[in-house]
Amino acid sequence: MTRLPLVVLAALLLAPSTAFAQVKIGVINSMTGPQAPIGENLTNGIKLAEEDLKAKGISVQLVWEDDTGKPQVGLSAMDKLATRDRVAGVVGAYTSAVTNAVAKKAEEYKVPLVNPVASKEEITRQGYKYVFRVSATTGDYASILLDMATTLGKPKTIAILSENTDFGVSGAKSAKAYAEKKGIKVVFEEAYSPGSPDYRSTLVKVKGSNPDIMFMVSYVADAITLMRQSRELQLTPMAFLGAGAGFSTAQFASEKNISNSVFSSTQWTPDVSWKGSKAFGDRYQKRFGKEPTYHAANAYTAMMIMGEVASKAAGDREKVAAGLRAGNWDGLFGPVKFEDFDGYQNQNKHQMLVEQVQDGKYATVWPPALQSGKPIWPFPGWK
Amino acid sequence: MTIFLQSLLSGILIGGAYALIGVGLTIIFGVMRIINFAHGDLVMLGMYASYFLFTLGNVDPFVSIVFVFPLLFLFGAILQKTVINRVLNALPQNQILLTIGIGLILSNTMMLLFTSDYRIISTSYSSGSFRLGEISVSTPLLLSFGITGLVTAILYWFLLKTDTGQAIRATAQDRDAAQLMGVNVKRMSVLATGLGAGLAAVAGALISPTYYIFPQVGQPFTLKAFVIVVLGGMGSVMGATVGGIIIGATESLAGAYISSGLKDLVVYVLFLLILLFKPAGLFGKSRV
Repeated sequence: MTRLPLVVLAALLLAPSTAFAQVKIGVINSMTGPQAPIGENLTNGIKLAEEDLKAKGISVQLVWEDDTGKPQVGLSAMDKLATRDRVAGVVGAYTSAVTNAVAKKAEEYKVPLVNPVASKEEITRQGYKYVFRVSATTGDYASILLDMATTLGKPKTIAILSENTDFGVSGAKSAKAYAEKKGIKVVFEEAYSPGSPDYRSTLVKVKGSNPDIMFMVSYVADAITLMRQSRELQLTPMAFLGAGAGFSTAQFASEKNISNSVFSSTQWTPDVSWKGSKAFGDRYQKRFGKEPTYHAANAYTAMMIMGEVASKAAGDREKVAAGLRAGNWDGLFGPVKFEDFDGYQNQNKHQMLVEQVQDGKYATVWPPALQSGKPIWPFPGWK
Repeated sequence: MTIFLQSLLSGILIGGAYALIGVGLTIIFGVMRIINFAHGDLVMLGMYASYFLFTLGNVDPFVSIVFVFPLLFLFGAILQKTVINRVLNALPQNQILLTIGIGLILSNTMMLLFTSDYRIISTSYSSGSFRLGEISVSTPLLLSFGITGLVTAILYWFLLKTDTGQAIRATAQDRDAAQLMGVNVKRMSVLATGLGAGLAAVAGALISPTYYIFPQVGQPFTLKAFVIVVLGGMGSVMGATVGGIIIGATESLAGAYISSGLKDLVVYVLFLLILLFKPAGLFGKSRV
């Protein structure tokens, strides 16, 4: 084992051009634990990026770390990557809670971190110089949906239901602020603890407040539970709006009798008209036997960017950070550039999309310029 | 008033499933004095069993308990005979580590075999309901509550009226005395673990049409079952039944009147209060 680094070192010294030197990149992701089902999308996206980098002549050595969905595990993974593996940069993590913790560590170690999907606003609002975010923020999740809602109809009241995690609370806060700006009254607001088999008592209260639209922020499976129990209680607002995550998975869509007509904001869909989206979707489907969620495209993009920049900088962390700050990219995720604006640092201004479940499949329905189907508004009622 | 009745009703109905999980745990504890920290993972196995019976064999989840119970009974019995039996006289911390370890092995094996994907059973009644005045009653919950009641009734009959059931209770009351009276306590331990595992699996199968299934789904149920068992009195079947319903109803009412994010807090405060006034639990006899 002790000889291995020497061999690598020798190989590095002997390599004719530093541009093609192998660079080490760390990956922190939720590969096991309750967040693993979505974590898998990130893993697969990164694997595809690794192949594409290789095809471009960039060979990266990935060091995989599993955060199991827990911030403290993510922190020790970051310690290890920064000090023991001496990576040029890190791509990760998945959830907002873990990423927020890891970002602080990355800044301390001055290790460039490209955050693929974690959308809690504060992550890129703390003056960090080494933290870059490809992902849109929770504020964007809410605003694109409410923009659409106010264009398509005249909702006057909104109920906001979110899980009590970093992602959920941050999403609910942004939704509330944006709704008030748009003149929509918040008649119900609550954060629930995820994973419960019974949300009926909460949903009864929502029903009592009789909102025009219902906005929900939930991870994977709770989305299905919430919609099932909404159907049970015959909750019928003008529209059900979900902020990505649990509301934009193929599994959610396939539960037709509860998911039809539900809107969800998302960062990417296979049928959006960005260059290479469809090909990526098909390739992913063929390779892994299931449809990718936006997380896969985010992670793919983050790894492609990190791979290219890190290889050009020959693994030097300062140069990697400078390269990330200076560059701009365009691909299946639309244009990407890390900018400072509205209190954000190194944040990509990403165009959000709205998708709607139509007959068990997602159609991209908003914004009109990128749509693949017409939105169905208002909610046609339960079948 | 509608909110109160609606929450109380769904809380009690869901409490039925909790009770079943708790009863399984309490039987295992009663007979062997071992807290089975793998209990939630047995619930998870029950869920997977009913999932595969449903998707591959088209067996309705509620009917599947006829197969799931014997399957997991066998699994529990084998587990007891091969592994748990060896630590019966070991230090409590070793027993705890063993059952936690079994739980981890179970959930991670399932993850290796079936990936961490969420699996959903969608039956025609999964989100069905009917109205009772102002209240809507969930069809799957009501059905599962009915089956829980039936299973509990059979269990009580078994424990109270049959020789084997009485032998299990005798072992739970005093292992040494039972042995002196000619009860085969080793066999009772195997039976009790099988019974506990079977009941956990039945609860899993009953929850599966309204919940979702993934390898780590069990852990919260372990904790919940533990609370239910302590609340009702360690080893008391009656206590676990009542405890399960209390926890279900408290969660639901706390969700309605305080905040669904704080319902666990309310449950644990209630739990502590009951223990303050009845340290042995609601139906427990303090054993020294």
